[in-house]
Formats: sequence, C-alpha cells, structure tokens
Amino acid sequence: MRPLMLQGHERAITQIRYNREGDLLFTVAKDATPNVWYTINGERLGTYDGHRGTVWSVDVNWDSTKVLTGAADLSCKLWDCETGKVINTWDTKSSVRSSNFSYCGNMINFTTDRQMKHEPKICIYDIREPSDSEPALSFVIDTKEMSKPMCSLWGALNEYLITGHDDGTMAHWDLKVGGELLHSVREHTALIKDMQLSSDQMMLITASKDKTAKLFDAPSLNLMKTYKTDRPVNSAAISPIRDHVVLGGGQEAMDVTTSNLKEGKFDARFFHLVFEEEFGRVKGHFGPINSLAFHPNGNSYSSGGEDGFVRVHQFDESYFDFQFEC
Amino acid sequence: MPSEDSGINWADAADAAKSSWADQVEEEETVNGDLPPLSQSVVGDIKTVVEYKYNDDDKKVKVVRKYRIETQKTSKSVAHRKLLKKFGKSANDLSGPNRATTIISEDVQMQFVSTREEEMMQEQEDPTLSKFKHQLQYYMFFKNFKATAPKDKTAEEEKKPEEENASNAPSKYVPPSMRSGGNTVGSSMPSGRGNRDEQATIRVTNLSEETKESDLQELFKPFGPLQRIYLAKDKHTQQSKGFAFINFYNRDDAAKAIKSVCGFGYDHLILNVEWAKPSTPSTS
Repeated sequence: MRPLMLQGHERAITQIRYNREGDLLFTVAKDATPNVWYTINGERLGTYDGHRGTVWSVDVNWDSTKVLTGAADLSCKLWDCETGKVINTWDTKSSVRSSNFSYCGNMINFTTDRQMKHEPKICIYDIREPSDSEPALSFVIDTKEMSKPMCSLWGALNEYLITGHDDGTMAHWDLKVGGELLHSVREHTALIKDMQLSSDQMMLITASKDKTAKLFDAPSLNLMKTYKTDRPVNSAAISPIRDHVVLGGGQEAMDVTTSNLKEGKFDARFFHLVFEEEFGRVKGHFGPINSLAFHPNGNSYSSGGEDGFVRVHQFDESYFDFQFEC
Repeated sequence: MPSEDSGINWADAADAAKSSWADQVEEEETVNGDLPPLSQSVVGDIKTVVEYKYNDDDKKVKVVRKYRIETQKTSKSVAHRKLLKKFGKSANDLSGPNRATTIISEDVQMQFVSTREEEMMQEQEDPTLSKFKHQLQYYMFFKNFKATAPKDKTAEEEKKPEEENASNAPSKYVPPSMRSGGNTVGSSMPSGRGNRDEQATIRVTNLSEETKESDLQELFKPFGPLQRIYLAKDKHTQQSKGFAFINFYNRDDAAKAIKSVCGFGYDHLILNVEWAKPSTPSTS
C-alpha cells in the first residue's frame, strides 16, 4: 500500500479521529493547531486556530457540524466544523486531557489534569444551553483516593462515563445519579494512554504503558482479552469489520537512541481480536505511534506519530484475504 | 556559406529549430524575467499541471504532473463537505492536495507475522532432524520389542506418541529478535533447538560488503548441511561488517569447508576461514 503522509503539524501528534462517515480525519498535536483533512486524497480542508498550547484531544459530533478540542492552555473549545470558527470556550483551572461528544451530540464531557494544586475534574455540559451556563454535571476526583484520569469515553445511552487513569484503573461513573462511582477495576499496572470503543460500543480496548492492550466488555468492565507486546502501547483500535485490533506505541521519544533514520522503524501491530496473536506489522513512522484510528468502513486506518506525521493507509488485497490459521 | 538559390528557407528552418521547450520558455518570459505561470489543462479524466521553476542548480526546470480525476458516489452530506471553502491555514490553498502538506509515501507492505508458519518452516528445513527422528523411532521400537511379545501393540502406540513428542519438543517458536540473552542481529536461519555444536563452527573473514547470507549459503552448502549462518552487520546501517560465523552439523563438514574455502577468491577479496573461538556467555 502507498500511504498518504499528512504533514500539517510541526510537533508530535496527540490524537487523530475520523468522523462518523469517514470522509474527514481530524488531527491534533502539540503545536496548538487542530487540522482537518479529506481522507479520500489527504487534502487538507482547514485548521482551527485559537488554542495556545498542546491540544490533547479532539472529537467530532455525529453529523460533522461541531468539533471539540481540549488543550493544555486551560481551555476546551467548541468549533464550527465547516468554517473553523469558535462557538464556545470553556475555561478550566488545569489542562484539559480528554474531551468527547456524547453519542447524540448534545452533551460534551471533558476531564482535566492535576496541576498547580487543582484536582482533576470531570465536567459535563449540554451544548444546547447558552454558552456561559453552568455544567450539567461536574465533579472532582480526589487524587488521594484515585489517580488522575487520562482518557474518558461516554458509555452507551449516555448512562455512564468510563475513565482510564494514571495508575491503570478504569472507572464507571453514573451520570443519572450525579457523579457516583459505580465501580472500578484495575487490570492494567501502568497508566492508560488511550481507550477506544468498538463500532457497536459494546467493547472497549485500552492501551497502556504496561506494554499490553486489553479488551473489556463496556457495560461491565470485565476483562476479556489481553494483547501483549514488548513496548509501551500508546493507542489501540478495534476494526469495525473484522476480528482485528491494531496497537501502536513505542518508547518515549527521549528514550529512543538514534536509529537509522532512513527507514521509519516504528510499526503498528495487528493482532487477532480473539486469539490474541500478532499477525501483521506495518512500518513507516520515524517515532513512536501516539494515536491510531480505523476508518469507519474498515478499509483503511491512520496513525499519528511522535514524528508529527499522520499516515493514512489503504489496506491491500492481502490484508482482506488473510485468514488467521489456528 | 549557404548559396542564395539553395531553395532552403533558412528563416523557416530557424523557426522550426526553436521547437525545444527551453526556447519557448525564453519567448514566453515576461518583461522582468520571471518564469511562465502555472498552467493546467484537463483532457478526459486526466488533468495535467505544468509548472516551471528553478531547481537546486539554478537551472530552469519544467515539471509536468498528471492527475487522474475520479468521480465517486457518496452521500449528500459527504458531497456537501467536499465543496466547503477552505479555512484556517489552508484558506489560500488551491483545490486538490497541497504538496506541502500531503505526500504520497513510499510503498510499505504489511509484514505478516505468523508463529505457526515459522514452526512448520523449521521442521522442513532440517533433513538431519528427520533422520534422527527415524533413528529414535527405530530405537524405541526395538527396545520395547525386546521385552515380552504382547507388548508389540504398546510399542507401536508408543512409537506414535514419541513421534509427536519429538515434533512438539521444540517449544513454541520465538523469533530471534525477541529471544532473551542473545544479540542475533544478522542471523538468517532458525536456531531454536539450543545445542549449537560449537565444535562445528567456523569463522569467515575478509568478506566484501555486498556479501549476503544467501551468498554464504551457496558458498558453504556443498560441504554439508548448515545449521546456522550469522553474518555480522552494523547495527545502524545494516551493512556487512566483513565477517560471518557458519555452523555446520558435522565437524567433518566444517573441516572440509575450512580446507577448501580458506584462500578462495570471492568478489575481489581473498577469504580467510578458520575455526571459531568458543563464544562467551554474554554477547554484545
């Protein structure tokens, strides 16, 4: 396959996301400017200018009209997807780490970091309400009891929120009652860097610094599968059409000794969802892979790396013909 | 000097000689000496973009790019989004990908990694192992046969599980790069079954940089089956360091190889072959 290499960022990519229909790819990086691209040919549609610090997360609503970004400049911004203008900004006391639209697109959530004596907060807003209104729900996580949340996801039917934490814990928060911790599990032994849902939202895959990715049942947080590698996993995604998962990671940029820069040696690894065995690798990045996403139709996937490049890969026949022998 | 009545119209010929594009460019230049502007033309479904620029040597270069225009059927919302006006940093971009931001990368293939395949390959590549397996079978069979006769049946049954055990004895194949305690960069043959007969290892030096494992295989296999070829490579550039270790199964084969190859001229260098010194437990 001949991947498209998108070069819109000057610094490491932090997250990439497809929209529901798959024709747009949103990429955010440590350079404060989210980009949006057409996936069909890699053409850049535009950039969202306004943040002043690392943008940690991005999400787009179901009809691709609004974009949500969370950044280290202590704000979470809502943008008009098509024109690039800011609709609303929520100011916070510490960096916003993860931000998501709910399934219906009417509510958003974001989580903040633990910084400068401010405890991490989880906030939920209804975006249909006037922009300066109070959050629909907001609660603080006491870090003496629980480590800070690194990533979050909306649960099915907006009933609960799932968060992944610094120490490997995952928690369910009840949104009906108002921020009550339903239950938490600690299957990972080190920080969880990314969590992604399957296309039917019944399963979620977590990527952790403890060199594994784990597959959980979303409603109950029961551990179902573990995928082992030899390097910290920064991101993982589940294929929407096949029993495959892809893992990407690598050591921190600082730890990597200079290697042969002619080949991009960092690879994305494909595992079989059920058998937990690796079956394929795709090289190309010059630095650890920080974010992975499957196209909603499963025919392609993208990866964003520490090297600032986003690579969009269209799978070959050989990928679709591949049958895992057991 | 051309004669006046030669019949050749030199003016026309001069015009015809100006058919090279470089001369056309000279003519098209604007008053202040700039390059001619970008031009595009669409013929059928191929769009051609012609651009003139100066390359690194300050020479005028003509760059022709051909694009195929594809039409795709998509949903209304996707089609609507494709026609959006660009914004932010792309506000001044032309239609189509901007070369500064979008590049078609080199071909990469998904490397299919399969532990099962490697196990099977391992079994096939090893003629001596199957020989040993047969010998083991016969030995066990006759050993049990020697005891009381009724045990015939059990002997045969034992033969079968032995067979399967022998083939299962190599534990799940671990690729060399993931094995602990060994730097096996440059190793090209599977070496899972421990006990690499140290007595049958030879060291070849003064290899040329282009020598590959396959060359070494061809060079040494006439002397006997090879257990392992290790070609030392530079960690960063993957270039051959000029020496290699070859493991034979039989010490005699190794001895024959030393006698024959030592002093042999190979790719403009004279090879040196000798017994390898035993390796220390900690490898580089």
